[in-house]
Amino acid sequence: MAGYRPQAPFLDELFEADGTPRQTAEPLIRDLESLGADGLAEAGRRRDAMFMQQGITFETSSTGGGSHDRPFPLDLVPRVLSGEEWRAIKRGLAQRIRALNHFVDDVYHAREIVREGLVPWRLVASCSHFARAVHGIRPPGGVYTHVAGCDLVRHSDGTWRVIEDNVRIPSGISYVLENRAAMARLVPELFASYRVRPVEHYPQLLLRALRSVAPSAESEATVVVWTPGPANPAYFEHAFLARQMGVELVEASDLVVRDDVLYMRTTRGLERAHAVYRRLDDDFVDPLEFRPDSLLGVPGLVRAYRAGSVAIANAFGTGVADDKAIYRFVPDMIRFYLGEEPILENVRTYLLSEPEELEHVLARLDQLVVKPTGESGGRGVMIGPHASEQEIERMRGVISAHPDRWIAQDVVQLSTVPTVGEDGVLAPRHVDLRPFAVFGERIDIVPGGLTRVALEEGSLIVNSSRGGGSKDTWVLEDGDDADRAGPPIADTQPPALPDLRYGGWTGQQQQQQQRRAAAGER
Amino acid sequence: MHFAIRYLTEYRYDAAVTDNLNSLRVRPATTSTQRCDEFHTRIEPEARVSRHLDYFGTEVIEFGVPASHEHLTIDMRARVVTSEPPDPPEGSWESLDSGAYLDAAGEFALPWQDQPAIEGLEDLDSQLVGGTPLETLKVLCEVVPDRFEYRPGATYVGSTVRDLIAAGAGVCQDFVHLSLVLLRRRGIAARYVSGYMWAAPEDHGTDSLEVDTHAWVEALLPGAEGKGEPVWVSADPTNRRLAGETHVKIGHGRFYSDVPPVKGLYMGGASSELDAAVKMSRLDPQASARA
Repeated sequence: MAGYRPQAPFLDELFEADGTPRQTAEPLIRDLESLGADGLAEAGRRRDAMFMQQGITFETSSTGGGSHDRPFPLDLVPRVLSGEEWRAIKRGLAQRIRALNHFVDDVYHAREIVREGLVPWRLVASCSHFARAVHGIRPPGGVYTHVAGCDLVRHSDGTWRVIEDNVRIPSGISYVLENRAAMARLVPELFASYRVRPVEHYPQLLLRALRSVAPSAESEATVVVWTPGPANPAYFEHAFLARQMGVELVEASDLVVRDDVLYMRTTRGLERAHAVYRRLDDDFVDPLEFRPDSLLGVPGLVRAYRAGSVAIANAFGTGVADDKAIYRFVPDMIRFYLGEEPILENVRTYLLSEPEELEHVLARLDQLVVKPTGESGGRGVMIGPHASEQEIERMRGVISAHPDRWIAQDVVQLSTVPTVGEDGVLAPRHVDLRPFAVFGERIDIVPGGLTRVALEEGSLIVNSSRGGGSKDTWVLEDGDDADRAGPPIADTQPPALPDLRYGGWTGQQQQQQQRRAAAGER
Repeated sequence: MHFAIRYLTEYRYDAAVTDNLNSLRVRPATTSTQRCDEFHTRIEPEARVSRHLDYFGTEVIEFGVPASHEHLTIDMRARVVTSEPPDPPEGSWESLDSGAYLDAAGEFALPWQDQPAIEGLEDLDSQLVGGTPLETLKVLCEVVPDRFEYRPGATYVGSTVRDLIAAGAGVCQDFVHLSLVLLRRRGIAARYVSGYMWAAPEDHGTDSLEVDTHAWVEALLPGAEGKGEPVWVSADPTNRRLAGETHVKIGHGRFYSDVPPVKGLYMGGASSELDAAVKMSRLDPQASARA
């Protein structure tokens, strides 16, 4: 690795600032050196062929408007976290997710945090994902945020910070599992000197969590994975998780609600479903309660949910907790609901609906990151130091028109990890980390998570939809961690669903059009 | 005033349908000026009914008819007593910025239509002169019906404020949506009210009337200088006046789709024919006709 130089001021996770390998990374660097640039380039070619063949691809849209599938870009240099480092992250995440779950419950019930004056009600009511339709509904087990994927970054001072919470339908776990399997096949020699904690048991953890919240008294709960369909960019993951858990993968046309109970259509007739891992937005789940024009939804699903006859993961309305305008209040939530100090820090955030903060931000747009609230996946984000003057001026206009739809944040100096270039040579690239937490009877987090890497030099945008790749994330075994894989589950394939498509739904509504009162006529 | 209300909805489908799921928001609310004494619903074909209060406090009646059917009857009967509200407060424009006002206003003061600009809105806005929020509310009740023709069929259930302005005509639902946008632009919190209205001519006694569901606004007006809480005041821009005991409230929301009287979906491609009628009867002596 002669010639690899970390880029000041960023922290490199495998190398010290002076270019010598960190202690935990020494064997890895040695093995990478013996593979050499040619060996890495060759393994990269095998990886692309394997992913294309297995259909592990990602749809990217080019600036021209077209889209195409490319192999999901797994970088062959893993990221290495010590057991100790991981335990701190894990504790911090579990704390944060508990607080977020409390917040969702509070928002739809007593609103104590609002009455306490900590979070302004108007801000909550302005969230685009605030779901009035589920006001007053408490789901089975009191769990709302069954699957959470908070995005973490590591600052140059070594601290971990949460940059974004995702408690709606975070995706990416299938890549964590596929990446590990691919690494073991492509570069087994890198694992030789390490005991890396396994991640393969994620589907077991998820199934166990879903069963634990499913309202099923007599029999074993029936769990389904609900996908919007093959056109969805994450369909691969939906199918992957259903297969790994050994449960049915269903679409809206396979589901029906009768007398406030959810059923699945099968060749044997209707069969009750007790828990739904749904992978589509609230907007589309039930045309009676959310968007009436949704063709993907199951009419009456919110009724079944209200009746408590089905568990929905994640619960409806959780988007109010991961809204970017609410993010700033998460440390307050932790103190308020849990009476604890936050373990993981936030990134300093400015609420542009506050006039003083807006003024401060408008004067420093070239030094800050600006993000639209209620969006995800890096859409609409402007990174001030990387933006042109025209982009900054345009953003100034957009923000001034609707300040409440934007937040600004300090730029975080994302850490780097050596990453293989086209020629097999390593160069530092910025990374973040999305661990996946599963909340059922307790919170389980598989070691590591999805490390996303910005493949372009200097870029801070790691989203896979915008040219980011990923890395296998290694948490090293040090014999000091209690959470181990649960009991194994049957590795069964779900039977294929028969094609039971029904005619479309039709809506009925009455316009309010009373004639004028005769007395009111002139 | 004392009313009996019967709201009868009949759907006929040109082919059998199944899984007909409906939500009703039809029950008269009980408020400080109104009391619902009796309330019954009958569904045919027979269906299990469940009820809950929604986010805005409106009672929602839900039912589903799973088996195949070609007609659906929803028959609601209620008895309700109403009284005139107290005189509306004359608080100042400045009071709209007070913390107490904003707390009471909550989300009903938030801008609603987020499209950039609706053509024609500025012009309407400029006509809303008024020394106090109350005066402006009264002016609004003249400006909207002056400017727009009341014409059923000009708009449909999903029409927007933009559609109303383009058509130059609409129904009470549209008039209310426009009024909400105009009031909120002025910083006056306002909400959509769904209900029934006794629309008898003032001068001759009638016991019974065929009406329809109606819509009007509630605007939050600040209490007179320094004293008194802000008060939700009902105003009917379709009928050019503040609303009173002739108006029977079902519930409120940010806009129509928060309080639709009947909302439903059924499985099957059949088209439906709707016959809906609201009949209001006065149960108290005509001598007490409203002022």
